[in-house]
Amino acid sequence: MRRGWLALGVVLLAAPLAFQDPFYERMIALVLLWAVLASAWNIVGGYAGQVSFGHAMFFGVGAYLPLLVYTHWKGAPVLGIPVGIAVSVGIAVLIGIPTFRLHGHYLSMATIAVAELIRLLVTNWEFVGAARGLGGPASGRTIWDFCYRSSIPYYYIFLVVLALVLGFTCWMEQSRMGYYLRAVKSGERAARSLGVSAPRYKLYAMIASAVFTSLAGSLYALMLGFVDPDSVFGILVSVQMVIMAALGGTGTLIGPLVGAALLIPLQTFANSLFGGQGNGLTFILYGGIIILLSRFEPGGLLEIWNHHLARKGRKGRTE
Amino acid sequence: MSPDILLKAHKVSKAFQGFLAVAGADLEIYPGEIVGIIGPNGAGKSTFFNCLSGELVPTSGSVIFQGVDATRATPEEHARLGIGRTYQVPATFEDMTILDNVMVGAFLRHAHQANAREEAMRILEFTGLIAQADHRAKTLGTPGRKRLEIARSLATGPRLLLLDEALSGLTPLEIQQAIALVRQIHRTGVTLVIVEHIMEVVLTLAQRVIVFNHGEIIATGRPEEIVNDSKVIGAYLGAGRKPHRSTAMSRLDGHGA
Amino acid sequence: MIALQVVVGGLLLGAVYALFSSGLTLIWGMMNVVNFAHGDFVMLGMYIAYLAVVVLHAGPLTFTLLAAVVLFLLGGVVYYLLIRQVMRGPMLAQILSTFGLALVMRYTVFWFFSATFVTLPGSALGGNVKLGSILIGIPQLVAGIIAMVLTIGMHLLLTRTTLGSQILAVSEDRQAAMLMGIRPDRMQALAWGLASASAGVAGALIATFYYLTPTVGESLVLIAFVVVCFGGFGSVPGAMLSGLIIGLIQAASAYYIGPVYKDVVVFALFVAILWVRPQGLLGTV
Repeated sequence: MRRGWLALGVVLLAAPLAFQDPFYERMIALVLLWAVLASAWNIVGGYAGQVSFGHAMFFGVGAYLPLLVYTHWKGAPVLGIPVGIAVSVGIAVLIGIPTFRLHGHYLSMATIAVAELIRLLVTNWEFVGAARGLGGPASGRTIWDFCYRSSIPYYYIFLVVLALVLGFTCWMEQSRMGYYLRAVKSGERAARSLGVSAPRYKLYAMIASAVFTSLAGSLYALMLGFVDPDSVFGILVSVQMVIMAALGGTGTLIGPLVGAALLIPLQTFANSLFGGQGNGLTFILYGGIIILLSRFEPGGLLEIWNHHLARKGRKGRTE
Repeated sequence: MSPDILLKAHKVSKAFQGFLAVAGADLEIYPGEIVGIIGPNGAGKSTFFNCLSGELVPTSGSVIFQGVDATRATPEEHARLGIGRTYQVPATFEDMTILDNVMVGAFLRHAHQANAREEAMRILEFTGLIAQADHRAKTLGTPGRKRLEIARSLATGPRLLLLDEALSGLTPLEIQQAIALVRQIHRTGVTLVIVEHIMEVVLTLAQRVIVFNHGEIIATGRPEEIVNDSKVIGAYLGAGRKPHRSTAMSRLDGHGA
Repeated sequence: MIALQVVVGGLLLGAVYALFSSGLTLIWGMMNVVNFAHGDFVMLGMYIAYLAVVVLHAGPLTFTLLAAVVLFLLGGVVYYLLIRQVMRGPMLAQILSTFGLALVMRYTVFWFFSATFVTLPGSALGGNVKLGSILIGIPQLVAGIIAMVLTIGMHLLLTRTTLGSQILAVSEDRQAAMLMGIRPDRMQALAWGLASASAGVAGALIATFYYLTPTVGESLVLIAFVVVCFGGFGSVPGAMLSGLIIGLIQAASAYYIGPVYKDVVVFALFVAILWVRPQGLLGTV
């Protein structure tokens, strides 16, 4: 196991060297960004089993705050990162406290509703740029503007954050929180009789998830230098996070990475081929994948791989 | 209230949409006892049991545990107070290992993984499950699952353990083993309340027996007394209570809503 | 008087909300499944009405019936092919399944119609009528009245007929219903069909006075959810009452604050309900 992760780490560190074309450099940077996002969603969606369809709200808040700081106060966008995180945590708590004591559907619905509510508010609020969005510094004034022409520096920043989120998830898995979340997912009633406060731990997971999502959003804004309501608060962002984690395998460390590595290149090429209509096609594809996953293999590709290994093992033993 | 009483249920009633499942039950449990609760089907034992464990909130009356009012407390709070329970249909965490199942219980009093693990291993030894520690819970049969539930609950360090038909569905040999385990647990100082259908088990284990019928406690006393009590015999021979019918089903039956 | 106009308009719209929300609450109360695609079922009803008019030159009665039948069948198919299996699985799968369905339905229609709005051409129900001092669009009036009648009809169907009682029996106590010879599977499929049909009819009604867009399902399902939460899940009378109230609130918000905010207010209300009284007016959590 350890060797596998080490090998992966080496590959990820060296990957940019293999690509000279800015198009591909950008793509692998996005793969890492989405790996971070899918892993962040996985904390609350995979491990705690609480399905949020509105994580775009954390992403968007994280993306807007740095550019707000720049637009209105000419400050370094980086200063907006902790504020974005604080606001995202606030939203997580606002939604989580009432819904985590209720059945899972309430959270799912509440996340869709609040994400959409925020998108509508932002689209109609002049202070944050309304439908036009906000821009960032055109070129770096100081090193703290994190303004680079190439995607490579961003790639490595995302890699560091990916290591952070995976490290957190790994720690959580082994801690009391991890055990409690698995217990709640497995049987909430029994877990509560053992002293597990299900609502509280679900909330912790949601907060952790919101923090990392917001951070990723901020870094995305730094890279792009521009945000608008539909691209960061739209449902596509939320759905992509869900499907990457679900496709790879929820509740596992590597599942979200697999999902991101598969879907980002797929989406990139689909967009190049189909242009504007590509978005609609993407959703149909995503919807179809989600239906198939839920109907046949909720454990995702990782589970399919495990079945495959188990079958090979059985065959080996009978020979 | 006397400081000696571990658990006191005072005039506990529970109603569901007009149907009175439990009507004014009074019960006192003293430390170190093994108390049995019996009664025909539909008598209200399970409902009363759930009121004691925190899964149901009594419509009226109170439940006091070691001087603390636990009437409205959540199941988690009950566990923290020191009340543990098992389920009639075992609810083990199927995909987790047996060790991990017990660790979930152990984490209540031991925040660190290493300590929780140590405590869980100790409990597994005590309950005879240590050999299967790394197997998934779903590989166990029903007796194993029931044993695991008991182990898991023991790991929370309860002072009072509520066992809900923990011995039903077992073979005679398994029943003997289970009785031995219950006695072992009792010797460590845990007070036990057992709901059971199997008369021999109750007579063997319980020092005091409480009999439910029609939502009320109709008799309490030592097992030998209860067995000969005419009210108790009448309750088991009698019709018992008709199961509660929902409104739609009453309509289909042709009775009024 | 403007306020009265807003009230009447809101109530009529609310009646339509009540119609499609009662389907959602029936399914939820019966099977603990939330249909995230419910709003898109309504959307499909809207587009069936549109196609029926454009291609078949159908009248309102025809396209409404068509929407009901098609959606009834679709509901049954969705139940047998997807819901039945997914219900037995983990919660993640249950929640994802209808959400995936919503995406497929929504964006397949989007593929054909793209984001441009369409409206039902030359409706026989155009025009306004003056009742006292208020002006009401005829389509809105007819839609509201029909929706109210149908919702009441659904409630009566469930509570007064044998079939309805059988459906409710499965909802209230599955085991006992089975002992009485009722097949839960069949009743659940029927409930899905019924819920989908009511969504389809609501869509056809809406099409007579509103513009059509493929993504409308997203906000409609949220409205349905708010209505169901507010009215108490599983309660059709609750959905009726709270549908009217939500319609009223939306109309008032649109008029007094701004049209953009009619959804915002409903969503914010939703969060408030979750905090204060998630079991709603008439139900239990």
